[in-house]
Amino acid sequence: MTPRLIMKLEVAAVADAAPGVRVLTFRHRLRPALPEPEPGAHVDLHLPDGRVRQYSLCGDPADATGYTIAVKLEPEGRGGSRWVHQQLQPGAVVPVSAPRNHFRLADEARQHVLVAGGIGITPIAAMARHLARCGAAFELHYCVRDEASAPLLPELQAACGTRLHLWRSGGDVPSRFDPHRLSPPPQPGTHLYCCGPHRLVDAVLAATAGWPTGSVHVEHFAPLYDAGFVPEAFQLGIASTGATLEVPAGRSALDVLREHGFMQPSSCGIGVCGACECGYRVADGSTVIHRDVALDDTARAHRMTPCVSRARGRVVLDI
Amino acid sequence: MPGDDRTPHWRGTLLHIHVAPAASYEMEPLDEATLIAGRGIEGDRYCLGTGTYSKLPAVRDVTLIESEVLEALARNDPPLQDAPLLMEPGEHRRNLTVRGVPLAHLVGVRFRIGEAVLRGARLNFPCRYLEQLLGRPVYQPLYNRSGINCAIEQGGRIRVGDRIEPL
Repeated sequence: MTPRLIMKLEVAAVADAAPGVRVLTFRHRLRPALPEPEPGAHVDLHLPDGRVRQYSLCGDPADATGYTIAVKLEPEGRGGSRWVHQQLQPGAVVPVSAPRNHFRLADEARQHVLVAGGIGITPIAAMARHLARCGAAFELHYCVRDEASAPLLPELQAACGTRLHLWRSGGDVPSRFDPHRLSPPPQPGTHLYCCGPHRLVDAVLAATAGWPTGSVHVEHFAPLYDAGFVPEAFQLGIASTGATLEVPAGRSALDVLREHGFMQPSSCGIGVCGACECGYRVADGSTVIHRDVALDDTARAHRMTPCVSRARGRVVLDI
Repeated sequence: MPGDDRTPHWRGTLLHIHVAPAASYEMEPLDEATLIAGRGIEGDRYCLGTGTYSKLPAVRDVTLIESEVLEALARNDPPLQDAPLLMEPGEHRRNLTVRGVPLAHLVGVRFRIGEAVLRGARLNFPCRYLEQLLGRPVYQPLYNRSGINCAIEQGGRIRVGDRIEPL
C-alpha cells in the first residue's frame, strides 16, 4: 500500500445534515487546491491519540478547494465519530491524509446503478455528483428511514433530479427498496455500486449474483462480521530475513510484527482500509484465513492484511 | 586567499526552510529555525525521531537540496519526462533549499549557515517513497542530484536569506 501525504487541514465549516449526522469541510491553510479526489475516495483522519479513521468524501470531486465528509454519531462505536462530533469546530486543525480510492467507478461502464443506505450515501454522493456533471447514464437508489433522516438529500435532489429514487422504510407510506428489482441480468456494460449497512449490502450481493464478474462493487465501513471465528496460533515467516515469528491465538500478526520492529504501515486495524496489506506465500498444507473486507478474491491469492487475517500452519510475508 | 587552490570559492544563500512533524506529514515552511547540534531542526521529524528513516544509522540531522536542480526539473532538463516536472518548495521533503552551494562537493566539508555549522555527510539518494507520496515520477529525475545529508556540528538560529559559506 502506497504511503499518502498527511496534511494539517483546518475545519472550514460544520453543519448538521440530519439528526446525528454532521457534515464537515476541510481546507488547507496555505494551499488553495488539495490533491484531487476521485469519486468514491476516502481520507484518513488522524486523531490526537494516534488512532486513524477513514471517512468517504461526499462533496463534488471536481472541487479540490476542500474535502467534505459526513460523519454519523455512533454512540456505541470505537470513538472516532464521538471525537469528530464533540471536538471539531470551525478553526480546528486535523491531520488528514490525501485521498485513496478502493471504490472506483468502472471506466468501461456504460451505465451505473448506485445503491446507498443511510450514511452509506457518502461515497455514493460523490459518484452521483460526478456522473451527473459528466452527463453519464446512472440511477441512484437511496434507502433511508424518512426524508428528515436522509443526509445530503437536498444536494442530491438538485444534482440528480429524476435519477434519484428515494426509498423509505418508515413514515406514513413506506416504500422499501426491493433488491430483487436488480436480479435480471442487466444490459451489458452496467455496473452497480453499493454502500450501506451489512443487511443492504448482503441483499444486493445476493440479488446480483447472476451479474457478470466484476460488475458489482461494494464498499464496507465495518469489519467482517464473524462472531463465531476462533483464532488459532500460527507461524509467520519473514521473507527478507528468514526469521520465523510465533503469532499466539490472542494477538494479530501485525502486533507481532510491530513487536519485532517491522514497521508495516497500518491504519484502521480492522481489515477495512488495506493499508497494511502485503504479499505472502504459504507452505504446503498451510492456508491463509482472510478476514478483511479490503481485498478482492484476485488480490487474496497473493496478498493479505496482517491486522486481521491469519493462517493455519505457516505463512511467509513478503517483507 | 585569491589564487590559493585550497580555498573554496563559492558563496550561497538559504532560500527555504521546511520541517515536518512526522513521516508522511506535509512539509511546513518556516522563516527561521533552530538547529540542534547532533540532532536536527527543532520540530522536524529527524530531530524528533519520527521520520521514515529515523531508525537507520546514517547521519540525517538536516537535508539540503539545490534550487538549481529544481529549476532544471522545471525545464525538463534532461528530458526524462513527457513534460516539465514542477516541484513546489518543500515537496522534495528536504529541509533546506539553497542556491549557489555545490552540494556534491561538500561530503566531509564544513560550512556555515547563519549561526550554525554543518558538515556534509552523505549524498542523498532519491526514494520511491517520495514518488509514491507525491504521485509523480520524481525518482529518476532526482537521480544523482538529490541533495546531501548533513551533520549539525554547531547549533544555532538560521533564517531564510542567510549566507552559506565554506569554513
